[in-house]
Amino acid sequence: MTAIHAKKPGETLFGFLVLTFSLFLFWQSYEISGFTALSSPGAFPLAASGIMVFASCINLLKDIRRPAEVGGFEVFWSKVLPPIVSIMIAIIFTFGIILDTLGFIISALLFLIISIQFLHQKGLVRSVLLSLLSLIVIYIVFRLVFSVILPEGIIPEREIMAWIGSLLN
Amino acid sequence: MEALNYFATSWTSLDLLALTALGTFLGVYIGAIPGLSVTMAVSILISFTFSWDVNNALCLMVGIFMGGVYGGSRTAILLNIPGAPSAIATALDGYPMALKGEAGEAIGLSTVMSVIGGFVGIIVLALAAPVVSEFALKFQPRDYLMLGILGIMLVGSLSGNNLTKGVFAGAFGMLIGTVGLDPLTAEERFTFGVVELWNGINPIAVMIGLFGVSEALTQLHYMNKAAIKQKIDRIIPRWADVKKYLPLSLQTSSIGVIVGALPGTGGDIAALLAYDHAKRVTKNPEVPFGQGAKEGLIAPEAANNAAVGGAYIPMLTLGIPGDAVTAVFLGALFIHGLNPGPLLLTENPQMFWFTVGNLALANIFVLIFGLTGIKLFSKIVECPKGILIPLILLLSVVGAYAINNSIADIWWMLGFGVIGYFMKQYDYQVGPVILGVILSRLMDENWRRSIISERESLPDFFINLLSSPLSLVLFISILLIFISQTPIWARAKAMVFK
Repeated sequence: MTAIHAKKPGETLFGFLVLTFSLFLFWQSYEISGFTALSSPGAFPLAASGIMVFASCINLLKDIRRPAEVGGFEVFWSKVLPPIVSIMIAIIFTFGIILDTLGFIISALLFLIISIQFLHQKGLVRSVLLSLLSLIVIYIVFRLVFSVILPEGIIPEREIMAWIGSLLN
Repeated sequence: MEALNYFATSWTSLDLLALTALGTFLGVYIGAIPGLSVTMAVSILISFTFSWDVNNALCLMVGIFMGGVYGGSRTAILLNIPGAPSAIATALDGYPMALKGEAGEAIGLSTVMSVIGGFVGIIVLALAAPVVSEFALKFQPRDYLMLGILGIMLVGSLSGNNLTKGVFAGAFGMLIGTVGLDPLTAEERFTFGVVELWNGINPIAVMIGLFGVSEALTQLHYMNKAAIKQKIDRIIPRWADVKKYLPLSLQTSSIGVIVGALPGTGGDIAALLAYDHAKRVTKNPEVPFGQGAKEGLIAPEAANNAAVGGAYIPMLTLGIPGDAVTAVFLGALFIHGLNPGPLLLTENPQMFWFTVGNLALANIFVLIFGLTGIKLFSKIVECPKGILIPLILLLSVVGAYAINNSIADIWWMLGFGVIGYFMKQYDYQVGPVILGVILSRLMDENWRRSIISERESLPDFFINLLSSPLSLVLFISILLIFISQTPIWARAKAMVFK
């Protein structure tokens, strides 16, 4: 007999959300071309979403039967989504929002300083220096060597590059 | 003669040689640093290299793959933290060796045996791929469909302990792959009237999200894990040791290459099976297994590197990835306009022999970088997670943006990153999602081809499936995997072994 492990906090809710999402996708798959033909554009998505519904039903039933971990929803915030993770998710999403407006250089620098300071906690000056150094390396490797175009934002990057280029020439 | 020319392409061009060396060097460190993985690195790299010449891009990625599989063993030996799943078995005896002050010897032996294993895998790839490819030409569309299902089910059942969660993840990936305009009828699927979704969700954004962001977020749980430093002395292994353990290394390499070639199984399973084999065939080990037996270190190391060559066989000849890493790799090949499958060897033999030659070259670089630079290695591996994680997240954002210079891809990537994080928390594997995304189109097209050829008749489809030996074998394999994960099987097994 295999031992039945206690479920993690929020696992049943997650299973329920997964099932709801699968049912929504199954309905959307049906909307593509209904049950018209086995070779219709909707047939394969219908089969895939059907499998998702079936599998998520079984998972949810299994979760309901398993004993809950002691501690309830408080444990969710310490084990599944601790503050460190939710704060980092918030920081990275904020980075995504400001990236287009402020541009890569400023937003990436802010992101690095804040996240390194938050995670590494070895003084602000050290975080700023580490962030600057990392950003310079990333910029040289990706922007200059790999020629990846990054959002300019408020810094007239192309003009600056052209000016540096003319100085060097 | 022509094949030899293609084989030597990356050996004779300075650019390709340098890129392979750079890739292998980076791979060793990426594989070694806990929190970084080869899958993550290759996913991010695809977005930067897709505009490159295909040979250059492949050299860098092959180097990272080969170096990464080896690199995982370094931290397994030194810190008891396997840098990659394929190094889990290495830690069992490698770390006890390090605790006894034999870290240098363990690293040296693991390097040499990894390289031997790597060469065995490459030789088998060169010999077996043309045969498999010839055989694969006889495959019917339904066989491809079933190979796809088999691969997803194997990854789903072997990578986690819950088949239904694995199957769910695979089906979810298949569905993501269908978003956009239907390639055959141009009908909209899951676009919700948004024109930007007509081209579908970029698989690279999904890969970076699931392997880059979600892994970085998961690593935040282990911020306070302190690393233990080890003293390292002599690295170059003794010739007597290499000679003594060569037969075991060759045996376990064979296990590695076979396991690697099976869809759904990769270096991690190969290494564990090889470890088990070493335990059974070594009657009187000098040191007991689990306490620093050299056999327990050599077996998994030879096997996991041999599995790389093995994994290339189904990937190049059938277009079916073996695991998450090869799924990402396969995605890269498609992006570069190559169509891996039975016709690759006839239509693009240069590409096949180039890859074989490049793998061999990368394997030589593994030997060079494996036996040198240990001091630099110790410094880099100690990079604090507080710095590493923000860098991974930043690189993920840059990588997602670089695909189409679009902010939308960053949002897809972040969205899948968060989904992947919660999936991991609740024991859903993310590997089958990627496999599903990559295989979705192949499975959809082959399903429709096969059912159209049966005039939309499901009974005829099954009659023909059961009357073809190949289809039957594949179908039975799928059924067996499914049954082996049910409680009925567990009960039957318990009764037999009672």
